[in-house]
Amino acid sequence: MKHNLKLNHFLFLAPLLIMLAIFSLYPIITSFVYSFFDYRTTNQQFNELRLGSALNGDLLAENASYVGFYLNDDYDLVDAEGQAVFDRVTEESDRIAEQYAGVTDISAADEEAIRAYIVDARQSIDAVYSRFPDEDFWRQSDLKAIFAGMERVFIESNYVGLEHYQRLLKDTRFFKDLGHTAFFTVMTVSLELILGMGLALIMNKAMRGIGLVRTAALIPWAIPTAVSALMWQYLYDGRSGIVANFFAAIGLIGSPEQMLSTSGGAMTAAIIADVWKTTPYMALLLLAGLQIIDRGLYESAAVDGSGAVHQFFHITLPLMKPSILVALLFRTLDAFRVYDLIAVLTGGGPGGSTETLSIYSYKVMIEQSNYGYGSAIVVGMFVFVAIIATVFIKFLGADLLSDS
Amino acid sequence: MKRIVAVALSLVMAISLVAGIGADVFAAEKTVINFAAQGDSTPATQAVIDAFNASQEEYEAVWVDMTNDSGAMRTQLINSLKAGSDEYDVISMDVVWAGEFAAAGYIAALDGFMRDNDLSIRDYNQGSMSAGKYDGKQFALPFFPDLGVLYVRKDIVSEDELAMLESGEYTWADVLDLAVQYKGEAETVDGFVYQSKQYEGLVCNFNEFSDNWRDIAGGLEAMKNLQDAGAAPENILVYTEGETANSFIKGDSVFARNWPYQWGAIASEGEITQDQVAIAPLPMGGTVGGWLLGVNANSSNQDGALALISFITGPEGQKIMSMEGGYLPGFNAVLEDEEVIESNLLLSMPGFLNALETTISRPVAEDYAAVSDELQQAVHGYLAGDTELEDAVAAVEEALAKAEPFEYADEEE
Repeated sequence: MKHNLKLNHFLFLAPLLIMLAIFSLYPIITSFVYSFFDYRTTNQQFNELRLGSALNGDLLAENASYVGFYLNDDYDLVDAEGQAVFDRVTEESDRIAEQYAGVTDISAADEEAIRAYIVDARQSIDAVYSRFPDEDFWRQSDLKAIFAGMERVFIESNYVGLEHYQRLLKDTRFFKDLGHTAFFTVMTVSLELILGMGLALIMNKAMRGIGLVRTAALIPWAIPTAVSALMWQYLYDGRSGIVANFFAAIGLIGSPEQMLSTSGGAMTAAIIADVWKTTPYMALLLLAGLQIIDRGLYESAAVDGSGAVHQFFHITLPLMKPSILVALLFRTLDAFRVYDLIAVLTGGGPGGSTETLSIYSYKVMIEQSNYGYGSAIVVGMFVFVAIIATVFIKFLGADLLSDS
Repeated sequence: MKRIVAVALSLVMAISLVAGIGADVFAAEKTVINFAAQGDSTPATQAVIDAFNASQEEYEAVWVDMTNDSGAMRTQLINSLKAGSDEYDVISMDVVWAGEFAAAGYIAALDGFMRDNDLSIRDYNQGSMSAGKYDGKQFALPFFPDLGVLYVRKDIVSEDELAMLESGEYTWADVLDLAVQYKGEAETVDGFVYQSKQYEGLVCNFNEFSDNWRDIAGGLEAMKNLQDAGAAPENILVYTEGETANSFIKGDSVFARNWPYQWGAIASEGEITQDQVAIAPLPMGGTVGGWLLGVNANSSNQDGALALISFITGPEGQKIMSMEGGYLPGFNAVLEDEEVIESNLLLSMPGFLNALETTISRPVAEDYAAVSDELQQAVHGYLAGDTELEDAVAAVEEALAKAEPFEYADEEE
C-alpha cells in the first residue's frame, strides 16, 4: 500500500526530521566540511575555518611591543649611532603595537605596509648588531625569533580543497591500518559467529539451571570494555600473565614476553580478548532468531528420521538467515570501528601493528589537534563502512529490509 | 494584589541584602588560584603550595590533581584550553608541550612580568628555560628540570669500571658487555633496563642511543643488540619508567637508565640501599626532560597566577621542592645552597655532576606530537622486528625533517 504524503503529514514528522538533522546529519556534514580545510587548533594560523586572508593583530602587537623592550636591554652595548637606530625602530614598533588588535580582515596596502615595517626593522637591527661581532648581546637571538614570529601574523585562507584526500590516498599508514582493521574484523566476527551460534544453541535448550547459564554467559559482555582490556593485559603480561605463560608452555609462542611485544602476538591477543567479550552479544542476537523457529518443524523432521546435524543445516540455519545477517551486520560495523579495547590493551603497538583506523583518527585529531586531516581519515572510514553496509544489504540480504 | 506586590518587593530586597552580604563575605576570602599538576609521590608539591598559601594573604593556591599519564593529561589540558576555559590558572607542562601551547596562544608570555620583578632568565636552569621559550618570548619557568642518567650497582661492577662509567668515557657497547657479564650476580635477573615501550619515553631513550640523532642507524642497532644479546629483559619493549624503576629498586637489574626521581625511590621503597648505587652520565649525554609552569592566557587571576609561579620557581619554592622531594632545582642559586646540598645527595655525586654537563634535547617542533608519534612508530617497529634497518632509518629521518627550524621567508635570496 502506498501513501501520498501531504504537507500536514510532514508536520507530524517534523520533530523526527529536526532531531535527525541535529543529531545525525550535522556532525556528518561538519566532518566533511572540516576535511576540506587545513584546520589545526594548536596553530594560530590554522585554528579556524577561513576562506579569506586576515591579520592576527594581537600577535603582531605583542611581538612589536617586544621589539622596544628587547632593544632596551642591549641599548647600552651599542654606540650612539646604533642607539639612534634602536630609538627609531622602537618608536616605529610601538606605533604598530598600538595600531593593531584582534584578528581582523586586512587590505593589501596594510599588509604591504606591515611587511615593509618587518623587513626594515629587522634589517636595521641586524645592521647594528653586525657592527659588534664580538659583543655578547642579551637579546640578539631573541629578536631574530621575534621577527620570525611576525611572519605568522598573516593568516591565509586554509581551504585546501581535495588535498587531504590526495594525501589520504598516498598515506601508507592509513592503508596499513585499514588492513589491520579488516583483519581484526573478519577474524573476530567469524569466530564470534561460530562460538556465538554454539552458545545460542546451548542457551536455547530447555533444561534445569538454564537461567544461570544465560546469566553467566552474559558476564563478559556486561564488563566495561576498558576494564576487560586491562584484565586481559594482566593475563597477557610477560612475567605473571597466566594466558601468556600457558601459550608459551604449549608452544604457541616462543616465550611469554612475546604475547604483547610482537606484532602477530599483539593482534592475536586483541582478537582473543574481543571474541571473549563480544561472543555473548552475538549469542543473544542469534538466540532471538532461534526462538522464533517453530518447534513443530523439528518434531516432524524427527518423525521422518532426520538426525540433529541434518536438522541444524536444513531447518535451523535457513530459518535463521535473517537474524544471522542482522547479527553479522551489527558486529561487522562494530568491529570495524574498534577503539577502546585495542587502545587500552596495546595502544596500537608494537610499532603500530595493531593500530586501527579509529585509533589513527583519534591520534591525528585529538592528540595532534589536526582536525582537518583527521576528518579526512574519518570520511575515508565512513566510505568503507558504507561499502560494508551496502554489500550486506544488497548481495546477502535482499529480503532483509523488505516487509515480505 | 497590592499585598502580593509588597510581599514580592520585600522578598526581592531581602534576597539582594543577603546576596550583598554574601558577596562581602566572599570578597574577604582569598582568591583561589587553580594549579594543575600531576600527583607527586613525594610531599614536595603539597609542601610548596602550603608555603605559598602561608606566605601571603591575598591568594589561596589549590592543587588540581591531574592524571599521571602524561599523554592523557596533555589531551585534557588542550581540550580545556582550546575551549578558552579558565578552570586552570597555573599549568604545569612537560618541557615538550611548552612550544605547542605557546604557539597556540594558550599560555601567556612572562617577559613583562619578569622585567617588572627583576627576574633574569639567567637565574634559571638554562635547558628548561630554552624549552619554555617560543618565538623569542619566555612562556614558562622551570618547575623542576630532569635529565636521563645511568644507575649502576656499584656493589657489582669493579672499581675501574665504575670510574669509567662515572667519567662518561664509555660506549653503549661497553654497557652491553658489562650487563651480559654481570647479569645474574647478587641475585639480579636482568642486565640493563631502560624505556622501550612505544611512547614518549622511547623518544627520550632513542635520543640518547642515537647520539642526539646524529647516528640513527647506530642507535637502532645499539638498542637491538641489547635485546638480542640478552642484556635487556625479553619484554623490554613494554618497559616504561615504572617497570624500569621497579626492576632496579627491587635489585633485579645491574644497570638502569632513568630520571633522577629513581634515586629517591631507592631510599623510600627499595630493596637495595642508596649505598649500593652510583649514578653515571649516559655515554652520549642524557635527554633533558622535566616540567615547566605557565599561566593560562584566559585565566581571570593573572596576577595571582604569576605570584604563584614566581614563588614556586623562585629560590624559596625550589629549595622546598629539592629538600622535600629530591627534585633537581631549576633556580640556579639553590644548587649552591648548603642545606640543599646536604639533604640532596645527588648534588654531590661526581657522576651526577658530570651528567649535568652533557645534556641533549629532543627535536623542537610546533607539531611535536606528530613528529614524536612518527619517531615512536619507526623505532619501535624496528625493535619489534617488523621493519628492516634501512626502512627504519629512512622513517626516522623523514619524521625529523618535519622538525626543521623556522626560516625567514626572504632569507634564501
